[in-house]
Amino acid sequence: MNKIVFMIALFQAALLMILAPLATGLIKKTKALLQNRQGASVFQPYWDLLKNFRKEEVVSETTSWIFRAVPLICFSSILISCLLVPTISIPHTLKVTGDLIALVYLLALPRFFMALAGLDAGSAFGGMGSSREVMISSTAEPALILVLFTMAVTAGTTQAAEIIRIVLQKGWMAYGPGTALAFVSLFLITLAECGRLPIDNPATHLELTMIHEAMILEYSGKSLALIEWASMTKLLLFSTLLANIFFPWGIAQETSLISLGNALIFFILKIGLFCLLLAFIETSTAKLRLFRVPDFLGTAFVLALLALLSQTILKLGL
Amino acid sequence: MSDSKKYFIARICSLLKLPANSLSANENEISAFLPLHELPLIVKRLCQMEEARCVFIGATDDRKNSKSFGLQYLFSIDKESLLILLRSKVPDHSLKFPSIAVQVAAAAAFEQEIWEFFGITPEGHPNLKNLLLHEDWPSETFPLRKDFDPHQKIKRVEKKSSNFLQVTGEGVFEIPVGPVHAGIIEPGHFRFSVAGEPVIHLEIQLGFTHKGIEKLAEGKTVLEAAALAERISGDASFAHSMAFCQAVEKIAKVTVPKKAQVLRVIFSEMERLYNHLGDIAGIATDVGFSFGAAQMLRLRELILQKNDRFTGHRLLRGVNIPGGVLCDLTAEIKNELRSFLNLLLDQYAPVEHLYFETDSLMDRIEGTGIVLEKVVRDLTGVGPVARASNVKIDLRQDFPYADYPNLKFEVAFRKEGDVAARMLVKMAEFKEAVSIIFQALDHLTDEPLVVNIQSLPEGSALGWAESARGEIFHWLRIGRDGKVERLKIKSPSFSNWRILPWAVQGNIVPDFPLINKSFNLSYSGNDR
Repeated sequence: MNKIVFMIALFQAALLMILAPLATGLIKKTKALLQNRQGASVFQPYWDLLKNFRKEEVVSETTSWIFRAVPLICFSSILISCLLVPTISIPHTLKVTGDLIALVYLLALPRFFMALAGLDAGSAFGGMGSSREVMISSTAEPALILVLFTMAVTAGTTQAAEIIRIVLQKGWMAYGPGTALAFVSLFLITLAECGRLPIDNPATHLELTMIHEAMILEYSGKSLALIEWASMTKLLLFSTLLANIFFPWGIAQETSLISLGNALIFFILKIGLFCLLLAFIETSTAKLRLFRVPDFLGTAFVLALLALLSQTILKLGL
Repeated sequence: MSDSKKYFIARICSLLKLPANSLSANENEISAFLPLHELPLIVKRLCQMEEARCVFIGATDDRKNSKSFGLQYLFSIDKESLLILLRSKVPDHSLKFPSIAVQVAAAAAFEQEIWEFFGITPEGHPNLKNLLLHEDWPSETFPLRKDFDPHQKIKRVEKKSSNFLQVTGEGVFEIPVGPVHAGIIEPGHFRFSVAGEPVIHLEIQLGFTHKGIEKLAEGKTVLEAAALAERISGDASFAHSMAFCQAVEKIAKVTVPKKAQVLRVIFSEMERLYNHLGDIAGIATDVGFSFGAAQMLRLRELILQKNDRFTGHRLLRGVNIPGGVLCDLTAEIKNELRSFLNLLLDQYAPVEHLYFETDSLMDRIEGTGIVLEKVVRDLTGVGPVARASNVKIDLRQDFPYADYPNLKFEVAFRKEGDVAARMLVKMAEFKEAVSIIFQALDHLTDEPLVVNIQSLPEGSALGWAESARGEIFHWLRIGRDGKVERLKIKSPSFSNWRILPWAVQGNIVPDFPLINKSFNLSYSGNDR
């Protein structure tokens, strides 16, 4: 039995890694269609990753070991994060590995090293990217913690799987005004954390406006592929958080092929919808001026704070 | 001619020591020869008292005939519609001329260019350094001198250290960008000095696309040179060829048939249409507003396809020749063009509305990249950039050519000088251009398209046209053999590139691409 739990937990993490390029491809394709363009196939991100894995890597002579280590650090911490977030089944997560608080720090770790890597090569763009990324994450991170605490307060635990189980158990009773606020806040944070519009434009060619892309400009070949894969997975991870914690319907609560299969279909549908929503937002808004980003994230923080307060008050019955 | 105008002309003539009747009623050009030492004072008075604007300074190598270099200073007094061409001579044993760059800031770049290409030194120039030829260009090699062979291979020398202005202080960083950029754009090197995100100083090095067009034109027949003029800057093909052809026609003293003049108006407005839509789309692209950009680009493509259908070339090349145009609009095509323009206006209106309704877009462009009116006046900015900063100049109205005198249109202008103002000016000009084409279509008559230019006398003349980016001037001299002896090209980008650093100052680094796009200058037009 333990073996099966372990296998399914690994399968859930693998699912996130494998589906991540497809989600990115779906967003790109939708954006293209919304712009009257045909766009590349939804599978294009897979070919791009494959291409980069096969390519020769060029590393600047001025870099230190950090530059080479960062892709591995990024990839592995995202991989471990995947183990913490239930995708299709709640009894099958590795509880020993950690909870939502660990998740926040597992996401902070690659960001810290990525910022270092941006500075490491000594190019002007990398430094710009790093300073901007750190500015953004220093405001996004507290908001993220508050959002996760809101859900933790509702459920009385910081384990993602437990939160989902309790939300499912309580049904509509689990939802309060705080939940809605927390959802909106987490959505805004997702846009910022994953470098999407209106915070960062993933499709831009303008070096001077880049944030995430500026930090990884020096990377090529396998390292680039690892970083890109990690950031695609990060996007899917955040959308899974949004989809599963707030709308956990359909997730499997027992070990049977039917319920797991059902859960998989529900999961893909939820993520698909989220991708469409993201594509629609990215098509219809312009990027924020850099110094407006703290305002944007300030909104997310205030929403999260309100959510936490209202949930606490409801919980304590004050 | 009104009394005030008469008085004004008399004043100018006395300043230039010309007889008072040297300008006839329907002319708008005046030309005077001045000795070198008198130049600075007269230029100063022209600029300070008569509000003259330095359009360009050019030079010629006349050592063969008169053992001297010629200098041409073109000034424009826009409110009185008067062009003043001052000529002077630099004897070949001194190779120096007095710089006017201190009094007339706009002259600085032209004097640098003359120094670089002719090897005559502007004395007292405040900032004499390379402009288009870079630091590895050998010294004592001056491409526009007559004894320079354009086909030789130039041996590049060891690169001298570049002389960018260095900003020092705690926390000041330099960001070098380019010449190779990430997008598919032309090459240029930008060096930002920043303190955090705000830009303290921007220095731009261009010249990477220098093709020596002015040199290549020498010795060519006017037909060959007209084809060359179309290739100065791709999206101003028609405007450049128009400026060139009008210079030739002036020298040949021929009047182009009315029909050709009307067609020239139609085609140059078609060029403005697709350029402005591309620029407006570019602004949306640079702020990541892809939906708005895609819609504008779709309309732009429709115009390019119509260009192709009507003339056989998307960028309208091969349409203009000295003496007229080669491409007729038949009755059927006229109707097609009319219904196309109606369709274009119909489809454009909701897209424009979309731009105004998208708060995230308007928030980005309002107040960004403000160009002060004084900067435009001092550096003689042109085109939509000038008109967005309350400098109302437009050659189509101030010095009308072709069929423009018979057309009714308003010159759009704004006072704010920011990215939004430049976009709004272009939007207004787009609609104005459609109305101009509608009017011009009614002026089409049944006449021949071309007048034959048999032989060209020796002489020189100015030709001009208002392109989508602003005014283009060509100063052409035809030699005794009827071939081009010198062609001075003044593209609008040449002046506006000097204004860009002033627009960027104080803005943040990630707003630079947006500001740059709102100018949308031609590298090729600047470098020639």
